[in-house]
Amino acid sequence: MIKTRLITMVLAWVVCLVPCSATAQQAAAKMLPDFTLPVPSSSEYQAYLGVTGADTEEFNVHDIDADILLIELFSMYCPYCHAAAPAVNELYTLMQQTSQSGPRMRMIGLGANNTRFEVDHYQHTFTVAFPLFADKDMTLYRLLEGAGTPGFVGCRKNEDGKFEIIVQRSGEFDTPEGFLQELLERAGR
Amino acid sequence: MRDIMISIRTLFFLLVVPLLVSVVPSHAGLRPESIYQTGTLKPVDSILKVAVGDEAPDFTLPSVGGDPITLSDYRGTKNVVLSFVPAAWTPVCSDQWPGYNLLEQMFAEHQAVLLGISVDNIPTLYAWTAEMGDLWYPILSDFWPHGAVAQSFGILRSDGTAERALIFIDYTGVIQHIIVSDINERPPLEDIAAQLARFPKP
Repeated sequence: MIKTRLITMVLAWVVCLVPCSATAQQAAAKMLPDFTLPVPSSSEYQAYLGVTGADTEEFNVHDIDADILLIELFSMYCPYCHAAAPAVNELYTLMQQTSQSGPRMRMIGLGANNTRFEVDHYQHTFTVAFPLFADKDMTLYRLLEGAGTPGFVGCRKNEDGKFEIIVQRSGEFDTPEGFLQELLERAGR
Repeated sequence: MRDIMISIRTLFFLLVVPLLVSVVPSHAGLRPESIYQTGTLKPVDSILKVAVGDEAPDFTLPSVGGDPITLSDYRGTKNVVLSFVPAAWTPVCSDQWPGYNLLEQMFAEHQAVLLGISVDNIPTLYAWTAEMGDLWYPILSDFWPHGAVAQSFGILRSDGTAERALIFIDYTGVIQHIIVSDINERPPLEDIAAQLARFPKP
């Protein structure tokens, strides 16, 4: 009996080591890859992201003026994204409210395998208030190691002005409030 | 020996069970593992039997909803778009129709109805489309005689599946436009929107 308990304790200890090891791996900063996006034609979106230029120009994602950036990977053809859209909109609202007195939080969406027209249709259908970009050939989806839609990549801006990835998940989040809290905590806020 | 067995059981629950739970996506539905990967197929494998300006071949097909649907019943009142997809539980098809779930208003604005058609049987289509949520448009089975409707349009492939095709039929029953896509790719939404805009008003 004592032997059984001893073995069980050892096994439990081993199991505890697994997340500890994962945490240690997370400690090595994973930077958001460099990529560019077209400057939004809307002056409202330009102000939201802190970027300027003609809509024929591009900006680097690291130039987005934010302490915390959340990137949503979605598709107009993804039924789970449709179902999650209201909660994502709610999260955006919470992020906006948080930005008023706390860290500057920004969100963008990348439409995986979607044309600009399809992204616009998605935006119109679900009244999405944050900027969405088309990722027709899924270059950005692959670059960000997307593993299904919806997916989320949360980042914090480091002192060098570059975004570091702090959250990566595929699938819906449980609640907007919970995911906001997770973002803030992982960002050290 | 008993101690070892208990330990193995403990090990299973502590290590394997959490692992199994973690690999199942939280967004169950059309799970990636439920989709049969076809690989890259011959883009088009049939020869059209109809052309723009022809009267569309009439048909009556059973629907997943229960009621049979007859194309000519829409004559005089609605423009019709037929969306043929190759097969259930395959890539591209499994996101094409869920995407069309966002087009109800667009179709309504052009007095058009959408009919989804596949050569799969009703039980298969029932299970497949149930995973897509509540589709606003009817799903029809061209299973028996196998692919007869697809054949009448000339879009039945040599392996018994249908092409990925969109047939735009105006309210008089005349074909206005035909899109037979590369089977490996989804037709862009803008092509559908453009053709809907060209439909005459009933």
